[in-house]
Amino acid sequence: MDNRPRREAPEAVDTQGYCQAEIEVTHGFGLHARPSVVFTRLAKSFPCTVEIEVNDSNVWLNGKSIVKIMGARIRRGSILKIRARGLRAAEAIHALKALVERDFDEEKKHGRSA
Amino acid sequence: MAEALEITGVSASPGVGVGPAHLAADVMAEVPALLDTVAAEGDKLRHAVATALVELEALAARSDEESAGILDFQIEMLLDPALVEMAERRIIAGHGAALAWFGALNDYIGDIEQAPDEQLRARAVDIVDIRNRVLSALTGRPLEDFAPGSVFVGKDLEPSLFLQHDWTAGGGIILFEGSVSSHVAMLARSRSVPMVVATGRFEVANGVGVLVDANDGRVVVAPEDQQIHEARSRTNEARPPAPSRTGGVIETVDGVAIRLSAIVNDPFELKSIDPSSVAGIGLMRTEFLGNVFDQETHYDIYRQALDWAGDAPVIMRMLDLGGDKKELGVGAKESEAFMGRRGIRLLLALPEIARLQARALLRAAAHGNLGVLLPMVTVPEEFDAMRAIFEEESAALGRRGVQTRMPEIGMMVEVPAAALTLDRFSRSDFFSFGTNDLAQYLAAAARDDQSVAALYAAATPAVLRVIAQGVALAEAMKKPIGICGEMASDPRHVPALMAAGLRHFSVATNRLATIRSTIGGMYSDGRAAAEMK
Repeated sequence: MDNRPRREAPEAVDTQGYCQAEIEVTHGFGLHARPSVVFTRLAKSFPCTVEIEVNDSNVWLNGKSIVKIMGARIRRGSILKIRARGLRAAEAIHALKALVERDFDEEKKHGRSA
Repeated sequence: MAEALEITGVSASPGVGVGPAHLAADVMAEVPALLDTVAAEGDKLRHAVATALVELEALAARSDEESAGILDFQIEMLLDPALVEMAERRIIAGHGAALAWFGALNDYIGDIEQAPDEQLRARAVDIVDIRNRVLSALTGRPLEDFAPGSVFVGKDLEPSLFLQHDWTAGGGIILFEGSVSSHVAMLARSRSVPMVVATGRFEVANGVGVLVDANDGRVVVAPEDQQIHEARSRTNEARPPAPSRTGGVIETVDGVAIRLSAIVNDPFELKSIDPSSVAGIGLMRTEFLGNVFDQETHYDIYRQALDWAGDAPVIMRMLDLGGDKKELGVGAKESEAFMGRRGIRLLLALPEIARLQARALLRAAAHGNLGVLLPMVTVPEEFDAMRAIFEEESAALGRRGVQTRMPEIGMMVEVPAAALTLDRFSRSDFFSFGTNDLAQYLAAAARDDQSVAALYAAATPAVLRVIAQGVALAEAMKKPIGICGEMASDPRHVPALMAAGLRHFSVATNRLATIRSTIGGMYSDGRAAAEMK
């Protein structure tokens, strides 16, 4: 169905509504309860599909599903690939990548559990 | 009357509680005799999920912010159609809604319980909570609650059950398994409910009196009045009106005092530690503050930590960028990996960042007992260059009338060249072993490379020998020396570290209770006292 050329570069964008980025999870506790909530809520706010792959597993998970993300047991130091297809794909990737880079805004939520 | 039975566990929330045991029932799904059609069973399940969501949202609405945050996670899980889809596959295979839900969730919980790190494993009970709530909506059986004042005894305790229960009448929690980093442990600490975890399974009948002595990580079934009295009076002794650091000093069996401090990775961890249970903060990382270019962010967080600690020492490590920490995009290049420009090397190469952090540290130091730790020091010239930066910034702030104080400045001992020549670092006020890096440099085996992980682990004897030499050098210089590497958080290594002469351990917050009980059960030379007592 999708035969557009794809690049496996850290951040690949095309004009056809496909975008991909690669990022390391640096947050102290990895992608657990609260970070997963924040990540999937942000992903769900975009109309495009969002998928993630962990540590080159070749398995792409629905990035809007907290159940799938918790099940992937993502630790600190994991390499995440995030890809999006459809409307506002580049914007979605940019925002999600920035969220991981900001450690899920955990520092703004003192006292909230991980 | 049966003789009192004493069981040892790990304290997850301090305090002493006494009450009749409430034995948690194992939740089992009943298979209804008559199954509806696949579509009808699916509808029942979706209806039950919707009911559970309404209940959770109501509970979250009347909870404080921390508790609501925990329930938020459960709500988001239930909103995800993936859970119902997992169960629907089992309904299609012929299971009723309750059994399908129970089986699908149990498989998922089993996966989470196999997670490599404890923080994630501790989330499994949150999913047990979701499982039971939906199951209760499906079967019409109310969620288990128990009489106020009783002691909950079970494999684990779900957060929403904790939140619904009335703890004002006292009682406590004993978990056969459980985790000090679970959501329910955080809740117990914030509400001062005594809680002991990891006791292993033991026999106790419903309603039998149980003593939870969570100051000692101890449980007594059918205690005698004398035992209750002693546990309670020890609590009173341990909590004098003035703030005390008794929990931060552990006496070995032969009476040697060992200091125990916390390692703090993120300021939000402070909330979960009782300051009187530690001798202060032995290492607080600063890489994870967020915007490292903002002096006020640094200052605010240092102040938070100092306010939390009162008069106890708080040791801040200056930005340790590079290596495996790739914040800012610095340190991302190959040449800046483990053996390149990282730690103090990078700080001296980016003096504006070093000076900004020094200014924030100098200002914060005026408000408490602040120490500064320099990462990756190799030669004395690096140490002296950083001290010069502190002196220059202190003078500049002083000219502008800003209140400052020169903190004690010490160094991480993690580069072998420094570890073997501590006597050359006469300007350092104190030393702290960083064994994670020390081990990888001694073994020439990167700690993030699985193919050489066995070598990294097997280098322990070399690390211990370097530590013993370093301790001797520091003692000759009459300078304090401690350890803040992961080895200190591992009870298997603690005896050898004690034997090497270390008397100050900085430990990850979720390991404090374990290391406290390990040290308390041995002689100062590292021998276990268990058999001799």
